[in-house]
Formats: sequence, structure tokens, C-alpha cells
Amino acid sequence: MILSVDHVSFSYTRDRQVLDDVSLTVQRDRNLGIVGESGSGKTTLLRLLLGLNRPTSGTIRFGEQALDTSDRGFMRAYRRSVQAVFQDPYSSLDPRQNVFGIIAEPLQSLDIAVPHREAVEAALVSVGLPPDAMNRYPHEFSGGQRQRIAIARAIVARPELILADEAVSALDLSTRIRIVELLKTLGLKMTLVLVSHDLGVVASLCQDIVILERGRIVESGKTRQILDNPQHPYTRKLIDSAPRMPA
Amino acid sequence: MSAIAAAPVRRSRRSWLFAIGLILVGINVAVALLTLVWLPYDPSSTAGGRLEAPSLLHWAGTDRLGRDLFTQIMIGSRIALMVGAGAVAIGAAIGVTLGVLSAFATRLLDDAFAAAFDILIAFPTLLLAMLVVAASDTASLGSAILALGIAISAIVARLTRILAKRVIGMDYITAARTSGTSWPQIVIKHVLPNIWPTLLVNFALQFGLAVIAEASLSYLGLGAPPPNASWGRLLQEAQGTVYTAPFGAIAPGLALLILVIGINLSADGLRDIGDPTRRGSR
Amino acid sequence: MSLLTVEGLKISTDGRALVSDLSFAVGAGERMGLIGESGSGKSLTAMAITGLLPRNISARGSITLDGQQVIGAPERNLGQLRGSATAVIFQEPLTALDPLTRLGRQIEEPLRRRYRRDGLDPKTVKHEVLALMERVALPQPERIAAAYPYEVSGGQRQRVAIAMALACRPKLLIADEPTTALDVTTQAEILKLLDSLVRDLGMALLFISHDLPVVANVVDRLTVLRNGKAVEQGPVRDVLGAPKNPYTKTLVEAARAFDQALGRTP
Ligand SMILES: Nc1ncnc2c1ncn2[C@@H]1O[C@H](COP(=O)(O)OP(=O)(O)OP(=O)(O)O)[C@@H](O)[C@H]1O
Ligand SMILES: Nc1ncnc2c1ncn2[C@@H]1O[C@H](COP(=O)(O)OP(=O)(O)OP(=O)(O)O)[C@@H](O)[C@H]1O
Ligand SMILES: [Mg+2]
Ligand SMILES: [Mg+2]
Repeated sequence: MILSVDHVSFSYTRDRQVLDDVSLTVQRDRNLGIVGESGSGKTTLLRLLLGLNRPTSGTIRFGEQALDTSDRGFMRAYRRSVQAVFQDPYSSLDPRQNVFGIIAEPLQSLDIAVPHREAVEAALVSVGLPPDAMNRYPHEFSGGQRQRIAIARAIVARPELILADEAVSALDLSTRIRIVELLKTLGLKMTLVLVSHDLGVVASLCQDIVILERGRIVESGKTRQILDNPQHPYTRKLIDSAPRMPA
Repeated sequence: MSAIAAAPVRRSRRSWLFAIGLILVGINVAVALLTLVWLPYDPSSTAGGRLEAPSLLHWAGTDRLGRDLFTQIMIGSRIALMVGAGAVAIGAAIGVTLGVLSAFATRLLDDAFAAAFDILIAFPTLLLAMLVVAASDTASLGSAILALGIAISAIVARLTRILAKRVIGMDYITAARTSGTSWPQIVIKHVLPNIWPTLLVNFALQFGLAVIAEASLSYLGLGAPPPNASWGRLLQEAQGTVYTAPFGAIAPGLALLILVIGINLSADGLRDIGDPTRRGSR
Repeated sequence: MSLLTVEGLKISTDGRALVSDLSFAVGAGERMGLIGESGSGKSLTAMAITGLLPRNISARGSITLDGQQVIGAPERNLGQLRGSATAVIFQEPLTALDPLTRLGRQIEEPLRRRYRRDGLDPKTVKHEVLALMERVALPQPERIAAAYPYEVSGGQRQRVAIAMALACRPKLLIADEPTTALDVTTQAEILKLLDSLVRDLGMALLFISHDLPVVANVVDRLTVLRNGKAVEQGPVRDVLGAPKNPYTKTLVEAARAFDQALGRTP
């Protein structure tokens, strides 16, 4: 077990609960998919897991230790182990930094002792971008290319756990398959928590799944089982509304 | 069917303006430095007749007391640069620091900061200057610069706060946090680079305003004391004789205009260089 | 004459061609899909149509929108075209929104402009803002109208951007990946909404996406882009039923295979 979330609730403002008594565990080498409708609290949950917000009640544990944002030593180790890909590929890249600066930031900030240039180059190539992209700036890339830059930043420091918020939703099918393959090979060494509205991606990447509806977990378990035999009506609705090719 | 590509034309005009701006500022700096070692005439003694028109001997004519005006304008450029640069430096140092702190502060503290900036901005610069002078008990160029700097700092702080808040809301700041980047580093690496282009243009504006504001301060005896008169004081002195000897007002006014235009063009150019999305080809 | 005619469009930077020799037309009330892989030039095409290309990128060829030439047109004329002739839902919802303005206000702005243009009573604007937010399936419209962009979820932001574009009631709506940040249920709702709006208001739609099943269900005709070139054009039925180009073929096959992976048969 890498991460466990124990009866966590959260609200941004006093009058509205965004997460309500959420419990889940992330097992080592078992990717977890988080699925739910827009506004159900998926990004919020990731923010709590990243220590960006503190739960109003409940605890989050990393291994044996409780996630404590005020413990600097712990947070440093935690940041080395856990990296994130954010939902919006446009606002998650600093427009004034070139791609090298963006991808190398975790290496620099966390004092990771690898040759930065080589590591950045390898990360770029693995997401299907040419190494010379390093010297360019974010605005010179398309939406999908930016998302790949963000993925490269998350994998460059070789964390144990990657929290990815809609990491592949801006990608076309062939690029998506490529990234999914990449994430799969990474999955051998890294565990992935993937927020996605795309059940196909979750099905092909994640062994476990939780379904979130308005801040509550309505169903959780093995992905295959749940997709084949959804119990909750909301899950069924999700599966049914996936767009499909016209005959 | 039309096939027009307008972008390159615009770009080259921009770089021209930048070059002109740099030249104008450069001339000013050169003249200011020159005054430290050489002056055409002694600024405090009579060098010719009163209110002479410009001639080969006196390029800008002479003033009421027969002193060479061009000499005084040269000295004025040193003072203008000192006032502008000094006031903007003080304003930027205090303003940017407070603005960034305020943007990062909790909501309550931030509201307090914002209110304080607004009050300070509403406070007349002259009153502020009198207070500063009263506190430092002699009227000097230094106290004028300090007063102007404080007035500018409030404006800069308010602008910085808004710009920084805008940047802090972006996901790349969150991404930097999860990459383990510390807050001071986030400010240096992400916040300042994203707000300085706008700040820079504002600094240029404040520079010009400070040089002009110093004029009113010296009129009230709160600025640089003679014989090292500022352009502002020259302008005020020429007021009475503006119909008989218009050049006494035109010359310092022209000098002021040249400096302010130069500073603004340079700031625009610098902003474009710093902005990867505005920079033309790589 | 078509509402939008693109002829021999070439978009390039530093001598590198990003889009070349692209031609297509969208008539009033027509729905066209622009599809292609990441980086194929879809968003650049949308920006060229609205005259919003970044500075370092230049466009050649001809784009006529509502009878006006866009390429080389002065900014003043373009400003008039935007909002009345065309509105765009941009791919990046966050950058299209002002982080320091409440979302309700941001929807209000284009709405007020349209009201002024059409001489409508501005008193009903506030009401219409909420109505629009409901139409794009935003829950608790009052709360979201009073929130700042970073206080709502990614999908909610995207729906606000959609509401802003709809507020203009343009003749041509350009939607650049309008549903990528949305979960499938919300996506289905938005697609239905776009479909009915386009029908009811007689808007034309240029729908940009990388997602073949999404596009296929919304538009009548398709243009397939690859590396900045149109490799196939035609009615949806023909392109999907009998793709001529090998690239289109692989696209269609991959999409069908993906459907099957989910345990569904088309
Ligand atoms: N900073 C904030 N302050 C107040 N409310 C917020 C804030 N951020 C998000 N919310 C609200 O909390 C709820 C959950 O938001 P969250 O971003 O977690 O949704 P999500 O599941 O990621 O949705 P999406 O798929 O659209 O990204 C939403 O209703 C949103 O409006
Ligand atoms: N400002 C720019 N300067 C240089 N190259 C650019 C610029 N903007 C885009 N490009 C390049 O142009 C190509 C097309 O970009 P565009 O944004 O149109 O792609 P797209 O089809 O919308 O892709 P996506 O589905 O990923 O959004 C990309 O290869 C991109 O790298
Ligand atoms: Mg989200
Ligand atoms: Mg795009």
C-alpha cells in the first residue's frame, strides 16, 4: 500500500461539502482510476493527495506516515515520490520558461542527481516530442503537445506515484495509445492514479477503479468487474453515455 | 485574393523604436556623466547678457541673471536621471515587495494591504513630501526622491498585487509547488518573470511622472536647491518671461520630453524582448 | 455564397509550414468537423479564421467570413466580425477567462454587446446569464456565477466558456475541442445542446476535435487534417463508411477497435 485515504471530507467554503467521507487505498503496482462527472470532486481529491489542501476531517497516509503538510522533511521526501499532471495543459506550463526549464524543474528543486539535459531529453522522447523542443516555449505547441510536456515533467524525476488529472484527454487516439503504452511501461515501476472521464483509458490502464458522484464514492473495486457488471445506476449511466462510432 | 503577411513589418518598426529609445536615454546618461567632469560655463555666475536668445555661444540662450541655460539643462539632466531612477528604484523595491507579499497573504491580511495601498495612493504626493522633508529637517534632493519613491511604491504595490494574484491562480504555480519548489523560488522563477513586463512599462511611466512632480516640489522649495537646478525649476523660473524669451521654457521642456519618450520607448522594447510570445523569430 | 470560405490557406512560421493548401467551405447552418491528430494544425486554422494568430505566425491564402476577407484585414474590422459573425470556444478554457472577474460577469459581457447590437432590453441580461448557464448544464448557476475561474472545476470552466460563445449568437460557432475536459455524461449533454442550438438558431458550426466518435455524431461533413494538409473531405457517412485515404482508414479502425475494447459493438 502506497497511499491510503481514510474517511476524508473536505469543503472549500463552509456551506458546501465537496468531498464526503471518502476512503480508498492505492496499492503498489496497481493503478487506480478515478471516474466521475464534472464537478464531482476528482481534482479536489488529487489536491488533497498532493498536500495542496488539507482535509477538513479524516487522514491521508503515505506508507506508514500521515501526510502532514507542515512537516518539511516529510514533504520533501513526499514530493520526490509523488508527481502530478494537471488538468489544463495551457495554464500548467509557465509561458516564460522554455521547455527545458519546465521539465527540469523537479530535478532542480528536489536536487535530483542526474544529468539534467539527458534526463529531459529522454523524457521528451518518451512522450513523442523531438529533443529540440527543449529550447522552445509553451505557446509554440498545440494543446496535445503541451499535455505531453506536462507528462514529461511528471515522469522526469522517476517518482513512485503519479497523480494524473485527465492526462490524456486532450490527445487524439493514436497519440493517446502511445502515451497509454508509455504510462503502462512506466506503470511497471511507477504507480498511477488516473483521473479520467474516458472509461476506455481507465479500462486499459487501471486495475482498480473508484466512481465518484457528488463527492461520494458510489462504487469501487476491480475495473474489469465493475465495467462488466456495474451495480450503481450512475456507473451504468457513465458507461452508456460514452460516445461511440455511428454504424 | 489577397496574400498579405503583415507581421514582419510591424516587428521591424518595433525594433526601430527601441533603438531610438535607447539612443535618447543614452544621450541623457552621457550628458549627465559629462557634467561631473566638464561644463561649458560656470552654472552659478553670469556668462552673458540677460535673457539672450540662443546663439553659437549660448546654445539655449541665457536666463534672467545672464547665466548660460544650456549648462543648467546639462546639470538638469543629471538631476532628472537621479530623481527618476532614484524614485522608481525606491518605489519598485518597496512596491514590488509589498505587492507580492500581499498577493500571497491570507485573505484578511490581503484586504488590509489593499486598503492601505488605496489610502496611500489617495494621499497627495505634495503632502507626503512635506512630511518627509519635515521629518528629515532639510529640504534636499534626497528627501524629494524619497517622498516621490514612497508615493510611487503605493501605485506599484497595488499593480503588483493584482498581477501577482493573477499569476498565482495559474496551474503552473501549483505544478511548481508539487515539484518541490520553495515559495521564494516560485516568486523569483515564476511570478516575477510573468509580471515584470507590465511592471516595467509602469516604471517608465512613473519615471516620467516623478521628473515632472519634482518640478512642483522644487517650486515649493522642497526639491533640489540652486545652483543645481532641475528642469522643473528652470521651467518655473521661465514662466514669467515666457512671452519675451520663450526659449527659456522651451529648452528644458524639450529636454524633459526627450528623456520621457526615450524611457518609454526603451521600456516597451525591453518588454518585448522579455516576452517569448512577442519575440519574433527565434 | 458560403458563410466561411477557406481557400489555399497556408500558415507558417520561420519558413516552416504548419498548415498548407487547406481549402474548405461552411455554408450558413451547416456543420463541419475538422479532425486530426495532435499538432496537425486544427487550432491554428481556427485562430486564422478569427484573425487571432500569434505574432510569429503568418497566414497566406484567402479566408472569407460573412463576405469579408480576414487575412490582412485591419484589427478594427476583425473586432467587428468576432462576436457577430463568429465566436470561438477555445481549447484552453482557463486562458480564455479572466482570473480576476466573476464568471457571471464574464458571460454578461458578450451578452450585453449582443443586446446593444440587437437593440434588446438590457434589463433581462442578468436573467439570461443564468438561463444560459443552465443550458450548458451547469449545476447551481448562482454559485458559479459568483465564483472566480479557479474556484470551479475544469469542466465547469469549459462550460462557462461555451456559454460565453453562445451568448454572442454568432452566425458561425467555432468549437475547438469543446468537450475534452468533460466527463462522458456532461459531454453528451453539451453535444446535444450544440446540436439543438445549431438547429434552432440556424448557426453554422465548425467543430474541431481529435475524437472521431464525438465529431461523427455532431457534424454533417468532415475534413481530416494530417501534418497541416487535408487528406480527406466529404460527408461523414462516406468518410467513415468508406475511407479512401490510408490515414483516415487507420483512424476509423482504431476508433472502432477502441469501442470494442470497452465491450461494445457499434
Ligand atoms: N477553490 C474552490 N473554491 C470553491 N469551490 C471550488 C473550488 N474548486 C472547486 N470547487 C467546487 O468543488 C466542486 C468539485 O470540483 P473539482 O474541481 O474537484 O471537480 P472535478 O471532479 O475535478 O470536475 P471536472 O471533471 O470538471 O474537472 C465543484 O463543484 C467546484 O465548483
Ligand atoms: N506559436 C507557434 N509557434 C510555432 N509553432 C507553433 C505555434 N503554435 C503552434 N505551433 C505548431 O503548429 C502545429 C499545429 O498546432 P495546432 O495548435 O494547430 O495543433 P492542433 O491540431 O490543434 O493539435 P491539438 O489537438 O494537440 O490541440 C504544432 O506542431 C505546433 O507545434
Ligand atoms: Mg477536475
Ligand atoms: Mg488544438
